[in-house]
Amino acid sequence: MQFVVNGLVTGAAYALVALSFSVVFRVGRFFNFTHAAVFTWAGYFGYLCWTILGLSLWAGALLSVCLSAVLGVLLELSVYMPLHRRRASGVVLLLVSLGLYTIMQNTISMLFGDEIKRLSGNTVAEGLSVWGARATRIQLAIVIICVVVFVAFGILLRLSPFGTRLRAVADDPDLAAIQGVQVHRFRLAASALGSGLAAVVSLLMGLDVGITPTVGLNALMMGVVAVIAGGVDSTPGIFLGGILLGLAQHLGVWKIGTQWQDAIAFAVLILFLVLRPQGFFGKPLRKAAV
Amino acid sequence: MLRVDSLVTGYGKKQVVNGVSLEVGRGEIVALIGHNGAGKSTLLKAVFGLLPIWSGQVFLDSEARTTATPRAWLRAGVSYVPQGNRVFADLTVRENLEVGGITLPDKQRLRDGMERVLALFPPLKDKLKQQARTLSGGEKQMLALANALILSPRLLLLDEPSLGLAPPLVTEALGRIQQLSRDNGVTVLIVEQKVREVLKVARRVCVLRNGAVSFEGIAEELRNDTKLREVYL
Repeated sequence: MQFVVNGLVTGAAYALVALSFSVVFRVGRFFNFTHAAVFTWAGYFGYLCWTILGLSLWAGALLSVCLSAVLGVLLELSVYMPLHRRRASGVVLLLVSLGLYTIMQNTISMLFGDEIKRLSGNTVAEGLSVWGARATRIQLAIVIICVVVFVAFGILLRLSPFGTRLRAVADDPDLAAIQGVQVHRFRLAASALGSGLAAVVSLLMGLDVGITPTVGLNALMMGVVAVIAGGVDSTPGIFLGGILLGLAQHLGVWKIGTQWQDAIAFAVLILFLVLRPQGFFGKPLRKAAV
Repeated sequence: MLRVDSLVTGYGKKQVVNGVSLEVGRGEIVALIGHNGAGKSTLLKAVFGLLPIWSGQVFLDSEARTTATPRAWLRAGVSYVPQGNRVFADLTVRENLEVGGITLPDKQRLRDGMERVLALFPPLKDKLKQQARTLSGGEKQMLALANALILSPRLLLLDEPSLGLAPPLVTEALGRIQQLSRDNGVTVLIVEQKVREVLKVARRVCVLRNGAVSFEGIAEELRNDTKLREVYL
């Protein structure tokens, strides 16, 4: 039973990362590596707020999430919007974001060092019993927050005017502009939303297992696998993709061994890319309109 | 109503439109025709603020609007329908119309507008909850037009509404645009490749060649004079 609980917790975290990435991806339409950097920075914002400034759990969390959203917006404003305006291709945007990611990750290493930092202080969290397995409070929080966020996000995207417009911008930004949607505002809103969401997961995972300068990239890779498994435009698909990936990994750990964890994730990725590239609920792939 | 004065524009460094002047009077349909790459679509995009205008000016009701953004044009009662009858494929028909109407000041106007365009295009009424990707070519054309008409524009800029439609639907679509102009007094500037069909509905015609106007006149003249047609088309 323990592996199911662990798998659900990990899967919930992956699903949240995947959702945060999909928000940024849908509007930007390129593989944005700086999303991983924002994820990492969010963890270190938490470290600053909690360990160094000594803020309370909630105040520190709120401040870290806001700082991360601001960081995402600043990146969009200063780097990606000018590039979009010049009609830069997806490859150009990807390379720029990879370069920026490297700089941002190394800045963290320089400032804080490469060793693991604990966010939860020195107290060892007591475990609670769930279905005969052990889980910490923070692990339960991950699962609950995941469900709440997915429901809220689904409602926001499907039922609010903001969501309709965001989907319109994701679908065809040029047409949206023609019809009077202020596309740049939605790009900024999407980066704030995606970055803030990434920060929430980053803090939760940081509280659970601690942070290093590379947590962002690891999380993003798993998130992307979940996005591809679920289909980028399908919120329920992303949820399912994350949970199944988490379960598959922990089943693998239980049956084969921990060193195969990443191999399992990428095996899932390859399986989906070959057999069902549009994901569970995804629509058939189409070429992006030029 | 719309006056374009020696407009020059292009993509990047490549100049495509080399000083075009044309005028569209209130209530008339003006067809903009010419070969592929003559600069028709580019001209329309520049007028609507989607491409920077390098030099020249654009006036709406004698008011300079050279630097107006798409949003400003929409607010001034000018709608633009881009090439290929583009609609938001992932959104439902209703959501498409909601986005089409976002520059309307309040919800009541949106509801009125929606009712009005659905009366104009009854086939869309039964498909409000369907994703736009499931529509037929003709229905997509209706939706693209409905998205522009929901704002009750005074001037419509249409870029090849017939593109990708089967021949009988082309006549139907252009006929619908003519009827719309007649019934509601909407002024239309229409770019078309289907010259024969568009000359039947347009009052005046403007032929572009290599980014400049090579002929301007009454559509009927061009339709009936074989010599003119040979020279200009």
